[in-house]
Amino acid sequence: MTSNLPTITGIGSVSPHGPVAGLIPQSKLEPRVITAWKTAGLRRAFLVKPFRPADIVPGLKTRRLDRLSAWALVASTLAIKDAGIDVSQTDRSRVAVVFATGYGCVELTAAFYQSAAANGWSGTDPSTFPETLANAPASHVAMFHDLRGPNITVGSKSFAGESALLQAASLLRHGQADLAIVLAGDTLTRAVYEWYETADLLSPACHNSEPMPEDGGFVPSEGVTALLLEPAGRRETRSYAYLRSGRWAAGGKPVESVREMLGSSIPSLTICAGNGAPCATSDTPALAREIAGHGAAIVPPQAVAAGLADTGALLHLVLALSIRPSSGQALLLGTSLATSGDSGFAALLLELP
Amino acid sequence: MIDIQKTIVVTGVGVVSPYGIGLDCLQAGMLSGNCCLDPAKDLYPGFEGTTAQVRELPFPAEGFNSRYSRTDRLAALAAQDAVAASDGEISAFRDAGVVMASTVAGLTEIDPGIAADPAGWYRRGGLARAASYPVARVADAVGEHLGVRGPRCAVSVACASGAMALALAANLLLDGAAPMIFAGGSDALCPFTLSGFNSLQALDPSPCRPFDQNRKGLNLGEGAAVLVLETLARATARNANVLAILRGWAMTNDAFHPTAPQQQGNGLADCMRLAMEMSEVSCDEIGYVNAHGTGTPLNDIAEAHAYEAAFRGRCRPIPVSSTKSYFGHCLGAAGALEAAITIVAIRCGALFPTLRLTDPIESPGIDWLRGDVRHQPLPLAMSVSAGFGGSNTALIFGSVRS
Repeated sequence: MTSNLPTITGIGSVSPHGPVAGLIPQSKLEPRVITAWKTAGLRRAFLVKPFRPADIVPGLKTRRLDRLSAWALVASTLAIKDAGIDVSQTDRSRVAVVFATGYGCVELTAAFYQSAAANGWSGTDPSTFPETLANAPASHVAMFHDLRGPNITVGSKSFAGESALLQAASLLRHGQADLAIVLAGDTLTRAVYEWYETADLLSPACHNSEPMPEDGGFVPSEGVTALLLEPAGRRETRSYAYLRSGRWAAGGKPVESVREMLGSSIPSLTICAGNGAPCATSDTPALAREIAGHGAAIVPPQAVAAGLADTGALLHLVLALSIRPSSGQALLLGTSLATSGDSGFAALLLELP
Repeated sequence: MIDIQKTIVVTGVGVVSPYGIGLDCLQAGMLSGNCCLDPAKDLYPGFEGTTAQVRELPFPAEGFNSRYSRTDRLAALAAQDAVAASDGEISAFRDAGVVMASTVAGLTEIDPGIAADPAGWYRRGGLARAASYPVARVADAVGEHLGVRGPRCAVSVACASGAMALALAANLLLDGAAPMIFAGGSDALCPFTLSGFNSLQALDPSPCRPFDQNRKGLNLGEGAAVLVLETLARATARNANVLAILRGWAMTNDAFHPTAPQQQGNGLADCMRLAMEMSEVSCDEIGYVNAHGTGTPLNDIAEAHAYEAAFRGRCRPIPVSSTKSYFGHCLGAAGALEAAITIVAIRCGALFPTLRLTDPIESPGIDWLRGDVRHQPLPLAMSVSAGFGGSNTALIFGSVRS
C-alpha cells in the first residue's frame, strides 16, 4: 500500500549533465577543465556548463544572484514542470521549500570578502550581503513561485540531501504542507576547490586530462537537484518513487539500525550515496551488501554526485533511477567516514512503482 | 486527553548570553533590567556602533577542540549548560539528536585575505579554520562535544533560524527520529555580519528602541541557547523535570522580498494563527508574545500589523515586548534565546518590558510592555521570529499545568 506515502512526482536538475527536467539521459561524463579562475596548471572538476537561466525559464532574472540561487530557481521550475503541476492552481500557503546545502552561497560570500579586501569592512556592497545568506536560494524559489509555506534551509555533514528529503516528508506527514519542493546542491568556487586541494582531498583525475579512475581522492562537482514531493493519491499522476521510511544518525551501528528500520522489507536494489570517500574506495557498497545480502542489486556511488559531498544524495537517486529503472523496494544508503567502528548513516526505504 | 507520545516538552535549557552562562544568569539580568548593549569600536576599523558581546568566553570544558569557531564554542558551552541544567547523566542522552541553527557559523574565522589567494590563506594557517565554515559544523560541534550519536542537522534561515530549529526538532521527535533532541541556535559577532548590516544601514548606532516611533535600527549581539526537547512520555519515563511544554509551532514564508517583510505582516500573522491552531488555543489564551522586534523601521511596523491581525477579536490587547532591547539581535541564536526567555517568563510569571520604549507604534490591539517588569501568572506565551528571505516561525510554550 502506498496511499498517503510521500511520493516523488517531479524531478529537475542543474548538474554537469546540464539542466534537465525528469530523469537524466545516460551519457559518459568526464571532468571538465577549470577556466573560471587562474589555476596552477591543469585542474578539472565536474562543472555545470554555463547557460542562461532565462533560456530555460523565460523571464527569470538572475543577474545579481549567486549561481546557487539561479540553479535552485531553474531546478525547482523544471521539477514543477516535470510533475505537471500548475502552481497557480494550488494553495501556495501549503507549499514548502526545503533546501540542503553544504557551503551555501559561497560565490557571493567570496565577492563580499573581495569588496571588504578592496574597500575595507566599511565599504562592502549592500546588494551582495543578503545574497550571501545560506537561505537565499530557498527564499528566491519561494518568491519566484509565490510559495508561502515553510521555507527551510538545512545542512548536515554527509547527509544534507537525505535530511532535507526526510524533513520535507515530515512536513507532509504532520499536515504542515501539502506539497514540498526539496532541493540539494552546492557550487564550486576557487576558495572551495583550493580548500580541497590544500587539504589533499583531490583525485589525480583532477590534474590529468586523460580519463582515469578517481582513486586516492574525489573529483569535486556542483549543481542543484530538485524533487517535488507530495502525498500519494493527492492527484492522478506518475510517481518516481514512494518514500516509505527513513532514518539517519551521526553514529552507531548502521547495519543493525538499518535492518531494524527495514523490518520485514527486503529491498531488491540498494542505491549507494557517497560518503566523502572516493567512489572506488567508498565503504558504502560493502555496507549495502552486508545489509541487503549478496543477491541484491547495488548501484555504486556515482562520481559526479559524490563530488557534491554533503548534498549529493538527491543526484545519486536521480542518476540511479535514470540508469536502472526498476520496481519493488529500493534502499538509498549513505554512510559517513567511519571512525573507531562507529559510523554515521542515512537510509531511506523507497517503493519504486 | 493529552497524548504523551505526541506532547513535546522542554527538560533542559542551556544559555550563553552577554549576561554570562546559564539561564539563571539571563533571568537575573533581565529581571533587574540590566542592558548589555555597549559602544563597540574594536570589531573592525571604522566601525562605531553598539553591540552586546559575550565577555571572557571560556573554552568548553572537556574535549577542547581547536577546530571550534567562536560560534561552535558558544554552541558547545550552551549545550554543556543544557546537560548540566537537566536531570540526567550524559549516558541518558547517547542517542539524542542535534538540530542547531546558525547564520554566521564559521565566518568568524575567515578574513578578507582569503579573497585574493585562498590557497595561500589556507597554507598560512587557515585550513583548519575554514573547516568550520559550513553551517553543519555547528551541529557537529554540539554532537561531538556531548558525544551523542543521533541525527544531526543545522538550520540556516537567517534570523528565524533558532526558532525554526526548535520547530524542526519537534517534528523529528514526533517522527521518532530520536528519543530526545538538543535544539537551539548559536551565532557570534564578526566583521562580516556587522559590515553587512551596516552596509544596509540597518544598524542603530545607539542602543536600539524596538517598536518605538523613533526607532532607527537594530544592534547585533551574540550568544547561544540549547533546549533539551523530548516527548512527555520519555520525560516521564526517566522522571525528568519538565520546564515547559512546547504546545505548538508553525512556519511560513512571506514570498515577498529578500530583506523586507511583507508590509502588512500577512505571513507572520498566518504563522501565529497556525501555531495557535496546532496548540488548540484561542488568541485570548495567549498571555504574552516575545516579539521578533528588531528595531528596524520596516520590521517593527509589519510586525505590529501582524499582531493586530493574528489577535483580532481578543478581549484585551495582547501584551508584547522585544527582548532584543536587552542584548541585541543574536541572529541565528535569537529565536532560541527568545524561546528560553519565554520559558523564563512563564516560570517566573514575569512579562519583560521593552527597554527604551517611550513612544510606541500606535496599535490599539497591542499592549506594549514598557517600564517595570509586570508580574502575573502566565500559562501560555508565544515567541515569534522572522528573517531575511521571508521566513517566519511561531512557537507556543505552556506551563506544565497548562
